[in-house]
Amino acid sequence: MKEIPKTEARCSCPYCAATFDAFETLKAHIIAEHKSQPVPAPEGLIGLTINNENHAVFVEPGWTLQHVLHDRLGMTGAKLFCDQGVCGACTVIMDGRPVLSCMTLAIECDGKHIETVEGIAAEDHPLIEQYVKHSAMQCGYCTPGFVVTAKALLDQNPNPTLDEIREALAGNLCRCGTYPQHPKAVMEAAKDLERAREDVTRKNVTQKNVN
Amino acid sequence: MSPEKMSPKKMSTDEHSKMTELFDNLRSDKYPLKDFHHIGKRGVHRLDGYEKAAGKAIYTMDVQLPGMLYLRFLTSPYPHAEIKSMDTSRAASLPGVRAILRYDDPELPSRAEVTGLSTAEVPVLPKIAHFQGEEVGAAVVADSENIAAQALRLIKVEWEQRPFILDPVAAMGAEAPLANPEDYPDTNIAMENVVNKGDVEKGWREADRIIEFKSVRSHHTWIGPEAPCGVFRWNGAYPEVWVKHQRPHLTKRVISTWFGGIPMNRIQMHCLYQGASFGGWNTLNWSMGGHYCAAVLARRTGKPVKWTFTRREDFFGGSMDEGVCHFKVGAKSDGTITAVKATAVIANTVFPLGPLDHFIENTRIPNLFAKNTTVMINKGPNTAVRCEQNLNAQSLTLVFAHVADALDLDPIDVALKNDGAEGRDTAWLNQQKAELGFEVRDSLKECIEKGKAAIDWDAKWHPPGTKKLDNGRMHGMGFNWTHEWDDSGGSSEMAIRIERNDGTATILGMRPDNGVSAETAYCQIAADEIGMRFEDVFYNPQFDPGFFAMTPDGSTNLSINGFAVRHAARQLKQKILEAATAPRAVTQRGGFPPAFPDLTPEDLDIKESVIYVKSDPSNRMSLAEFVGLSGFRGPMTDIELSLEGAVSEEKPCFSPPLFAEGYHVQTGAYIHVRLKFCRQAHFMEVEVDTETGEVLITKVVNVNDVGKVINWDGCEGQQYGGTYMGIGRGKSEEVIHDPVTGVMLNGNLLDYKIATMLDADAIETRLVETGLGYGPYGAVGIGEDIATVVPALVGPAVYNAIGMWIDDFPITPDKVLDALERK
Repeated sequence: MKEIPKTEARCSCPYCAATFDAFETLKAHIIAEHKSQPVPAPEGLIGLTINNENHAVFVEPGWTLQHVLHDRLGMTGAKLFCDQGVCGACTVIMDGRPVLSCMTLAIECDGKHIETVEGIAAEDHPLIEQYVKHSAMQCGYCTPGFVVTAKALLDQNPNPTLDEIREALAGNLCRCGTYPQHPKAVMEAAKDLERAREDVTRKNVTQKNVN
Repeated sequence: MSPEKMSPKKMSTDEHSKMTELFDNLRSDKYPLKDFHHIGKRGVHRLDGYEKAAGKAIYTMDVQLPGMLYLRFLTSPYPHAEIKSMDTSRAASLPGVRAILRYDDPELPSRAEVTGLSTAEVPVLPKIAHFQGEEVGAAVVADSENIAAQALRLIKVEWEQRPFILDPVAAMGAEAPLANPEDYPDTNIAMENVVNKGDVEKGWREADRIIEFKSVRSHHTWIGPEAPCGVFRWNGAYPEVWVKHQRPHLTKRVISTWFGGIPMNRIQMHCLYQGASFGGWNTLNWSMGGHYCAAVLARRTGKPVKWTFTRREDFFGGSMDEGVCHFKVGAKSDGTITAVKATAVIANTVFPLGPLDHFIENTRIPNLFAKNTTVMINKGPNTAVRCEQNLNAQSLTLVFAHVADALDLDPIDVALKNDGAEGRDTAWLNQQKAELGFEVRDSLKECIEKGKAAIDWDAKWHPPGTKKLDNGRMHGMGFNWTHEWDDSGGSSEMAIRIERNDGTATILGMRPDNGVSAETAYCQIAADEIGMRFEDVFYNPQFDPGFFAMTPDGSTNLSINGFAVRHAARQLKQKILEAATAPRAVTQRGGFPPAFPDLTPEDLDIKESVIYVKSDPSNRMSLAEFVGLSGFRGPMTDIELSLEGAVSEEKPCFSPPLFAEGYHVQTGAYIHVRLKFCRQAHFMEVEVDTETGEVLITKVVNVNDVGKVINWDGCEGQQYGGTYMGIGRGKSEEVIHDPVTGVMLNGNLLDYKIATMLDADAIETRLVETGLGYGPYGAVGIGEDIATVVPALVGPAVYNAIGMWIDDFPITPDKVLDALERK
């Protein structure tokens, strides 16, 4: 058998033809020098951080974020009501802003941080308890969209006025007409959060004094 | 026949005899509770609140099953057309398409029961469309909704277009094309209903003033947040079905008629939470058509099939609003109305109700003539959305408002002057109340007093078109009234079981949740009647235990189901107390003595889920202890111990199964069945922008005499919720069809405008409890009426602002500007 000649360089860079001994070194070079992924992600694969958990999902170009959340990942809180960005029932928080997941293409969401009603409930956000206390739901189909929109408001504006709440929620439609209860629930949730913050501050102060 | 004679045999317990007396209840509740611990107490929150707020509540639209296929329907591009031929070959070859059902499929019967209400048979997959957007010709199942939708676009149809008609009045003309020659081959007039009481001619002669006007109402629809959908799978040879339908037990019966007959006990039903449809959709004749097609295709493909409608397809039909009504009214100068004649035309419905039923039911006006003609046109079918009384409520509102205006009177005085029933005055009505065992209270007066105070009527009411505000807008006040909805006919069976291990109670009965929180009210009733803590009673209506409970869209919620729960609860309590004083069981080791030896059931009571001796409350046992553990950890514990040679000295915990069923049946409240005593009154304050024509609703006060409040949150929710739907119905919601092509132009939520949070500034709710209802504890219904009575209220309020009548609903800005122009 003919002996294969031994070469020093085992692989070369497709961008600049630089040669490397090991594949791992080449990968590091491509990331560092060419700001690129050495192994391109398969087409349609996106990464999403949903409620602080990482997901890798293959999506078709036409799929909406609502479809991915609801039909592929089982997060059924993002409801389809109007299907055209009018009613807010599919609202999720993306990178801190409320967005309509029925009008958002999933393939454009690669790398995004998303918060859904499931995450808001999992963290025991006071909005949930206040919604229950105020009976701010009837058939309940649109309710998660209201809760998510309200959470986005409180994240940005911890002490909203009545008008600010009404303005924030005006884009959410409820056919049962539960509207009057939502501002009351949101207002109370804001107070709960305020109290929680005060408790934390007080605890920190006490802790300091003890130390 | 008297209830006693109808009783099949002498009932064994006291409660059974009480029950027969209450069958077809035509008088006051003779067996109310003395004390309420949960019923009517504020702060009882809905049972489903957490699930719904947290996004955990599952709806049929959310269901996914392994291998599930998705079904979509072909819809007609024309308002009236027949399929001459259809080529589905390209669609069938699209990858991902699993099957196509065609109108000419040999497995499809020409007609079948696919209705939600009647037993009428209609085509399952029609080849003739009678309105644009109707599901016809083909159903495609595919791996995804997208593929199914793509496949529909590949179906080639040769249509034969037919002439169509969209206007109900024009449809009555001799030259008008027939809208539905299949069902109405001779004329578009489907039904005529005439009511003639007294003598209107005599009424005109007695009147000081004759007032004539015409009102118009446009096509309005329900908008269900969750679009119509369903899932069908064959569990071996038998169906397992997920229905988004307000009448699950009727749908089960409908399914049992398919494919040569399926035994009822082999049909497994799931009725999950429902994105409400307010009575719309599910009473229509084709509302189970999707399920039939899904059933055929599920069997053919061997996979579960989910059928769905798009948002546009949920604009399938509408409410019974569209039509025209001509009025002639005679009145004396003091506001006494002497006669009313009303001639109505209403589109595409089979309920020719009104227009003057509410005049019969709650006024003293002796001379009434009403004619209602239902006419078929080429738009979707109309049904009772929220309820079928919109025409009646509107007639009462507009006639009273026009009379008050013509005579320069406060409309509230005109209402009080004419209150009554069956052409008789309130003195006669009060006599009836007393004879039927009710307290004699004046419901309308009580409602009006509360409402006037809440809206500051005396200070704010002014002659029409006279109050301009500092912001430049015209200020207006409106008032309307009618009776509170009494529940109609139906029957219900429900049961309650005490669970082993923890002694909690489960109410059994299938009905759909549509958001009114009736489940919570049933638990309040059961808790109070048995003597349990509210949190120990639960009701999961989504589960099918075989008992059918009445549905909200039958206008029969609390009055029928409430009685059924109450009867079950009372019998269960009796059973518990009897069991507590009887030997509990006999086993190989001998008998277990009674939990409360040497006592009778009458010596005991139950409070907060604990059985106790009335004369010595310290002698007590919780229900959980009493019923004991399930299985061998229960009564067998003793035997187990004895095998080890030890004999238990402990009181054995065991009871017979504790279960009781209740039922109720009634003819209901339609005219002449029973008098309506409870009233409601609504007040509206508006500002009209004379430059844009916009009507801003600044305040609404709803006052409802519900007889007895069972659940406060539920009642108030129906008040403000119904008001929002009513505001949309009264001033912005209108389905528009292109007159040239017959195509629906605004089948989406951007162009069909339902009320948003900003469409009313403030809604105040007031509840009156006169006990004048026939339901349990004197209750009547509240879910249907506010959304039905409030729409017309926009009319008088806008009139009071601008001094011009716009009897054309919805009162949109263009109509306001037109009216101002005419002025």
